[in-house]
Order: sequence, then C-alpha cells, then structure tokens
Amino acid sequence: MRRRIAVCVLIWAMVSASCSPASQTTAPAASTTPAADATVEEGKQLSALAPANLTKPRPKPPFEVTGNWFIDVSQNPEAWRFGPPYPKLTPAAQLHWDAAKKYTAEGKVYRDDIGQCWPAGLPLIMTRYWPMAMVQIPTAIYMISGFMNSVRIVYLDGRKHTDPDIIVRTYNGESIGTWEGDSLVVDTVGFRGDHHWMDQGGVAIPAGEQLHIVERFRMVSNQLEIEYTMTDPQHWEGDWKSTKRFNRVVDEDIQEVSCLPDLNQHLQSTTSKTQVLQ
Amino acid sequence: MKKVLFGAALVLACSVPVLAHHSPAAFDRSKEVKLVGTVKEFRWQNPHTWIEVLVPDEKGKDVLWGVELTSPTYLIRAGWKSNTIKPGDKVTVMVNPVRSGEPAGIFRSLTLADGRVLTERPARLGTADSK
Repeated sequence: MRRRIAVCVLIWAMVSASCSPASQTTAPAASTTPAADATVEEGKQLSALAPANLTKPRPKPPFEVTGNWFIDVSQNPEAWRFGPPYPKLTPAAQLHWDAAKKYTAEGKVYRDDIGQCWPAGLPLIMTRYWPMAMVQIPTAIYMISGFMNSVRIVYLDGRKHTDPDIIVRTYNGESIGTWEGDSLVVDTVGFRGDHHWMDQGGVAIPAGEQLHIVERFRMVSNQLEIEYTMTDPQHWEGDWKSTKRFNRVVDEDIQEVSCLPDLNQHLQSTTSKTQVLQ
Repeated sequence: MKKVLFGAALVLACSVPVLAHHSPAAFDRSKEVKLVGTVKEFRWQNPHTWIEVLVPDEKGKDVLWGVELTSPTYLIRAGWKSNTIKPGDKVTVMVNPVRSGEPAGIFRSLTLADGRVLTERPARLGTADSK
C-alpha cells in the first residue's frame, strides 16, 4: 500500500508544477489530483517539508509575507506593547500588575524574565526591536526572530491543532493558519504558562496555558498588518485586542543571537539590586 | 560645532526607547553620569555590545563600570566598528545609571581620545530613519 501511494505521489510530482508559491494556481482538475489527502500518510500528518505535502495543489495565497519585518514605531516608540488599553484583569493577574507598579515606583524591576533569558514568547516575540524573518512556503510560514533566534512556525497545510494531551507546550505556541479572503487567520494555542508575560518594563500581566491568540494578517499598502485578539480567562476578562503594523526591512538580515551564559554577567542591570526575580 | 553635534545626538537618543533584551526600568533616565576612564573590555556581540571601563573614584581607586549598548546592527549604522575602541583606550562615556547605585549604566554617548563622539542609531528598521 505504502509503495503504491509512493508511486502515485512520485508520478504526480513529476507532472506537477514547482512548489514555489509564485507558480501556484487554482487547484488542478481532478484527474491530476492525488488520491486521498496528500498531507496525511497512513493516518500520520506529513511534515510541512515533505515533498508530497509541498506539492499538493492549493489555491494561490492572496499575499506573500516572505521578508524581514520590523514593528512600526515611527509614530509611537511604545507601539511594541499590546496595551494600553489593557483588559480587565482577574485577581490572579492583578497581583502581578500591582506588584510591578509598586516595585517600579521604588525604582525596581519586577519579574523581568525576558531579561533573565527566558523566551519572550507570543505575542511579545513579534514586536521586539529586532527584525522577524519570515519565509513562506505552500505549507507553512517559518519565522525566525532576530531576538534570540526564536523560532515560530505557522502551518498552512490544513492540519488541526495537536491533541492537548500530547502537545508540547512552548512560548510561541502552536500556530495554524487559514486563508480567509484577503487575510491569513492564525490560531495559536499550546502555550507555556510559566515565565511568560504579555508585557515588559513596568507592566506585568502573566500569560497562562489557557492563552489563545488569533491573528489576522493582511497586507496594507507596503505594511504587514496583524490584528490580535487574545483571550486567557485565567488572567483577564473577554477579548484583548490590539493591531500592529510592520515595515519591510530590505537592508538588514537577522543574525545569530543567543542569550549566552556570560551575557548578563556583563549587563549588570540584569543582576543588580534593582531586580525582583520572585 | 562639536558640542552642537553632541547635543543633537543626545536629543535624538532621548527621543527613542532603549533597545534591550531586558526591561529598561532599572535605569534612571533622569540622571547622567560622566565616566572618564580606561577601557578594560569592549565586547562586540549580539544581542548587546558592552564596554567595561575602569574609572578612578575620588580616592583614586579604579572602579569597574559596566556599560550596556545596543546590538552591532544599530551601532554599525552609527559609524561604530568592532575596533572602534580597545582595552587601554582612554574614553569618556555618558550613561544613565542603574537606580541601585551600582557601577553600571546604559549607554548614551562615547567620546574618544581624538574628540570624536559616537552614539547609537534609533531602532527603526524599515523606515528612512534607520538609514
């Protein structure tokens, strides 16, 4: 059976067009469509990089995000934040909010986990002051941040979210993208709920395991717009909304960046008496 | 003229937020400290460059100050190179100090022995300001 499928896929691949996005067209006639779902083989989800998945006929996406993107702070240097406005916090989150305000007033820094080399995680990873490199292929968008080279993958191949019982929670979560009209709607769950924050620098709102982020990507003029709708009933009520614009960077590539063991040893502010770590 | 340029650079630096992987709240942006000393180490790396400067205190004893800078990406755009300074160089560095009083601060400007003044570029990639 496996050999038969492999042969079918091979023959189909030989007659199909390149998998480059530019060559994608409306799905071909049924006679050239591989049997069954080409993204699944013997009940297992194919890798986003598997040839049979890459070459599956798909409608041409309405836009391309391949490029380096940088949060637009030209009008507001604080635009990297997702508030204000902030949602109404639950008592569990209010504790941290109040603590951050108290310690900030005392000239201290409350629970700056990013500064201690914990991952920024979604959503903050999208708006760091380093570019986000995005590479779009038919089955996924691979994102690598210029900040600590954090990796985020948005799957576009029609897969569903991983079973919650086996998902490996991460700071950027598991992202599934779906094209809807002129937009790409990205649904992300599966977050780590420790050392994960929704803001930084005097504002402390935790991100928990119930965090659910829906992003609506659109191209507006020459900018990438992402409209965020974020929920986390453990930490705030209702929808937390924010819209970000990103500029295309054409004269800079991301570089290798790590939070090396000696980094903070030489950045005394991160180890100074100003830090409140717990 | 040099003083004018220096002043302009400071105004520019004031108008943009700190580029850092950590919270900028540890620094007192209302204060500036002038460090006149000798470079012990200049580390050119991501995500931050740093300078360690030996600065004599009022009793003449060297105090090691840590100065945090942005990434080379933005320093290169402001004219920096990896060999702009080296251990042993006499420098004057302006910093916003940490609020705890410890000998550390975030970079504002560097004056080299030959009088050249270097700052950072604002982190605004993708706009005309970043050129």
